[in-house]
Amino acid sequence: MTSLALVRRRAGRWALNGVATVALAYILLPLIFVVWLAFFRQEIPSFPPEGYSLRWFAAIFDQRKFVDGFTISFEVGVLATAIGLVLGVPAALCLARRTFTGRGPIGSLLLMPLIVPGVVLGTAMYVFHVALENALDVDVIGTFYALVAGHVVIVIPWIVRLVTASLAGVDRTTEEAAQNLGANRWTTFWRITLPAIRPGIVAGGLFGFVTSFGNLELSLFLVGPGRTTLPIVILQYLEWKIDPTIAAVSVVQIVLIAAVMLITDRYVKLARVV
Amino acid sequence: MSETAAIRGSAVASPQKRGEGLTATALIGPATIFVAVSLFAPLAILLRYSLNDFDKATKTMIAAVTPANYVRFFTDAYYTSTLATTVEVALLSTVVCLVLGFPLAYVVARTQSRFKHLLIMAIVLPLFVGNAVRAAGWMVIFGNKGFVNTGLTWLGLIQKPLEIMFTEKAVIIGIIAVTLPFMVLSLQSVIEGVDRAVEEAAFSLGAPPLTMFRRVLWPLALPGVLAGTILTFILAMNAYATPYLLGGPVFKMMAPLVYNTFTQQSNWPFGGAIAFILMAVTLTLTMAANLLIQRRGRAAISS
Repeated sequence: MTSLALVRRRAGRWALNGVATVALAYILLPLIFVVWLAFFRQEIPSFPPEGYSLRWFAAIFDQRKFVDGFTISFEVGVLATAIGLVLGVPAALCLARRTFTGRGPIGSLLLMPLIVPGVVLGTAMYVFHVALENALDVDVIGTFYALVAGHVVIVIPWIVRLVTASLAGVDRTTEEAAQNLGANRWTTFWRITLPAIRPGIVAGGLFGFVTSFGNLELSLFLVGPGRTTLPIVILQYLEWKIDPTIAAVSVVQIVLIAAVMLITDRYVKLARVV
Repeated sequence: MSETAAIRGSAVASPQKRGEGLTATALIGPATIFVAVSLFAPLAILLRYSLNDFDKATKTMIAAVTPANYVRFFTDAYYTSTLATTVEVALLSTVVCLVLGFPLAYVVARTQSRFKHLLIMAIVLPLFVGNAVRAAGWMVIFGNKGFVNTGLTWLGLIQKPLEIMFTEKAVIIGIIAVTLPFMVLSLQSVIEGVDRAVEEAAFSLGAPPLTMFRRVLWPLALPGVLAGTILTFILAMNAYATPYLLGGPVFKMMAPLVYNTFTQQSNWPFGGAIAFILMAVTLTLTMAANLLIQRRGRAAISS
């Protein structure tokens, strides 16, 4: 290789790493500033900070709406994920292991909630709930269960996607070997398939939970009075002002999600599933 | 019993097949029905409502079958300019995401570092933290007393604070930060599948880095480019929290417009119509890009 080519390659490397660093900084910048603000001593987000303090984290608990919002988001997330797993895991098993008519379209359908715009889905679900309430004569609009049902729809695609992905890595012949050795279908499932897809189930459940927990657009249309989720509380607060209290709330959320990511990463390589 | 089942399964094909068909239905049926009903019934009702009339005085919907809401949208300059702004912001964000995202995706895909998973986590984490929180970050950076204005004043570059918040600039910067991780992840997964030896071959044949990129890496990474571009564009077109918080009351994009029409004016027919226009425009432009890039890709490979 000529020295000119070598210089060119080295320059290319530098340019590449430079832009990559800028891009990574760009992604992280807003989070870094939110975390920084949470520790400011003064209430107004001005620079340089007058000093640092932890009191804003205590201030979270003075405002019931944050605690209530967190509780609702957590409950909705857990319930929606549980229902999503019950519906999604068998569906993913079926998609990955069986051939049947309509497999392609059904696979696309189960992933579709990921690409239907949140605002459109929210609007549509709201009118659907109104229609249901009128037709069935029971409370639907703004109820907790209607909110959960809406979230199940956006949780299922993650579960299907991650469980299907984890099954793709499992050699089918292992299952066939088990059956040849006399295991029935249930034994094969419990002893071979389930352990193999456990990482996919854990990752799918966690991603589903995080999706539900952080959802804003769909929830905006589905929450009822006195049942506001945390992302909506944050949005409404920011509309009014930005201060270290809301930054502290954000830090709590960031830490929670980072913990979930770290746990997920132990089970499946994040790079492979997102 | 299990033995007989296995023997029966291998010897007699048809009852086994029928059994499999039944279990397949039982496995996938509930999820399919749930998602289909939860998606299509609401969208069908909304589509029907978008053809209704609306009485402004009483704020009630009047049953009708009229294209009036769609006509109103496309004949009112306020609404068409909102659509134009949305498309413009989405296109610009997508291009910047591609330019910034490709190098980062390449570095992540090719790194041998044992901290690779932390790098990926740094890209994934902001995705799940929520757009409102990230908008808050930009508010701290761009506000009148924010980091940028204080810094520039301190350096003596400006006398009075720059107006960045509540402008199109702020919205575009915010949306790029929201969509960039999706672009990087889409590209990274495809670049990882491109054999490193192919790149080395181009280099050893004397290709400069840019030529290698243009002739080898780019054509091979095209599926990832397509997936990332489409995802980014869809997300940018439908962004709600970012334009709402960073754009302020004057700046209008489609998703906040849908929300306002629907909840503040209670005009369901018109709100429904705007929602469908947003979805239709997004899908049309996405499919157009799909065709364009695929044709280009085929041309690049055949040449």
